Amino acid sequence: MLGKIFSPKNNGFLLSNAFGMATIGISKLLMKDFNGTLIFSEFVIVPFLMGIVSAWFWRNINFGSRQLAAWSCYNTIIALLLSAIILKEGVICLIIVAPLLMAFIIMGSSVGYKMFKKNNQTLNVSVFVILFGIFIFDSLSVHHYENNVADTMVINAPPAKVWKYVVAYKRIETPGKYWLFRIGMPSPVQSTAEGYYLGAKRKCIFSNGYVFDEKIVTYDENKDLTFDITKQPRDPEIMGHIDILRGQFLLKDNHDGTTTLTGNSWYRLYVFPVWYYDIWAESVTRNVHLRVMEHIKELSEAK
Amino acid sequence: MFNFVVKYWGFLKFIPGLPHLFDAWLKLWTLITNPKLLDWIDDVEKEILTWPGTTATTHKYGGLQFNYGKTELGHIHSNGLLDMLLNRKLKQQLMHLNNRVQDHHILKNTGWLSFYMETYGDKEFVLELFEMVYQVHVDKTNNKRNIP
Repeated sequence: MLGKIFSPKNNGFLLSNAFGMATIGISKLLMKDFNGTLIFSEFVIVPFLMGIVSAWFWRNINFGSRQLAAWSCYNTIIALLLSAIILKEGVICLIIVAPLLMAFIIMGSSVGYKMFKKNNQTLNVSVFVILFGIFIFDSLSVHHYENNVADTMVINAPPAKVWKYVVAYKRIETPGKYWLFRIGMPSPVQSTAEGYYLGAKRKCIFSNGYVFDEKIVTYDENKDLTFDITKQPRDPEIMGHIDILRGQFLLKDNHDGTTTLTGNSWYRLYVFPVWYYDIWAESVTRNVHLRVMEHIKELSEAK
Repeated sequence: MFNFVVKYWGFLKFIPGLPHLFDAWLKLWTLITNPKLLDWIDDVEKEILTWPGTTATTHKYGGLQFNYGKTELGHIHSNGLLDMLLNRKLKQQLMHLNNRVQDHHILKNTGWLSFYMETYGDKEFVLELFEMVYQVHVDKTNNKRNIP
């Protein structure tokens, strides 16, 4: 009975995931600046090592690339389910992380399977130690990344008309076009302001009821509205992995009855590697901009 | 998709590990869209490794590379794309014989060719190509040995 449960095949799935979860737990203990930050190693080195660990249990099973890749995919699905249960990650986060985990688990199992076929213990131990060393080094390093996204749109209305909708706008009724909004990611639907002046409090309301509290820090009428985000929701879907720090709308009078509206957002990422997650962060931020700016355009251009 | 990435993001191939990450994604894509292709690549590997003097290694830009001694015979990316170095004359002849044999997807005016494996029949053709290039290298080596 136990032999069936703890067969090499099942051990490959069970123990590689147990290794992955334990390693992530260790990294949380090691990290000095842990504030929900998920580091490069957790998405690159750990899945790669998980692939190697699974390959060690599968090393005597004679199978081809197809089966190895398929089993690695099942292994990733188990890892994603465990992330949802233990790390309380949301569905959208898991969709975003899945391609990265899957690729590194496939790479790890392919490398591991070939490595263990060679049966060179010095090589095996060296690879494992080097990867584990990178993991420890990464866990002890400081992780800080901030970026800015800017988007521009021409609105067929003068700045004075655009301005009032930039400060506050009524509820957006149209559904979001962006695919992540369609599958449940919260999107901005309304903005309110307690007044049209410097220091006024502003609220950006999202489709699921989330509210971002903001404070106007630059109020240059018809030209520049800059606001700092003073409080934002924390939840498993994206919001826990990115902080929006500041937002800005710049209006430029084109002197032909039109206005060029530029939306800027500054954010801080809590997930690494940035070469992967910043692509998503830019895409999400850009689509938040476009949803709001298109709504402002529609309101401003209405007769 | 592959061509788009190679054309616009190809410069990133010099970042260590990135081409291999891309190749892992190609493998995942192949697993979903044409899983038998992975078996055929394995079959090609098994067959080639029975030929004396051959080895298989990971290609520097991702994929499975076949060597004769220290010389590369060709490599297959995980989407079934074979890249092989012949000479321009031989390449032109092959392009006339089979219109799916193309100029290399990056190195156009060279002896490099590209061929997409898609079917079981393509596997046989790929093996024929490898056999041909293998024979070229075996003959070269033998000729060198015979020079007094």
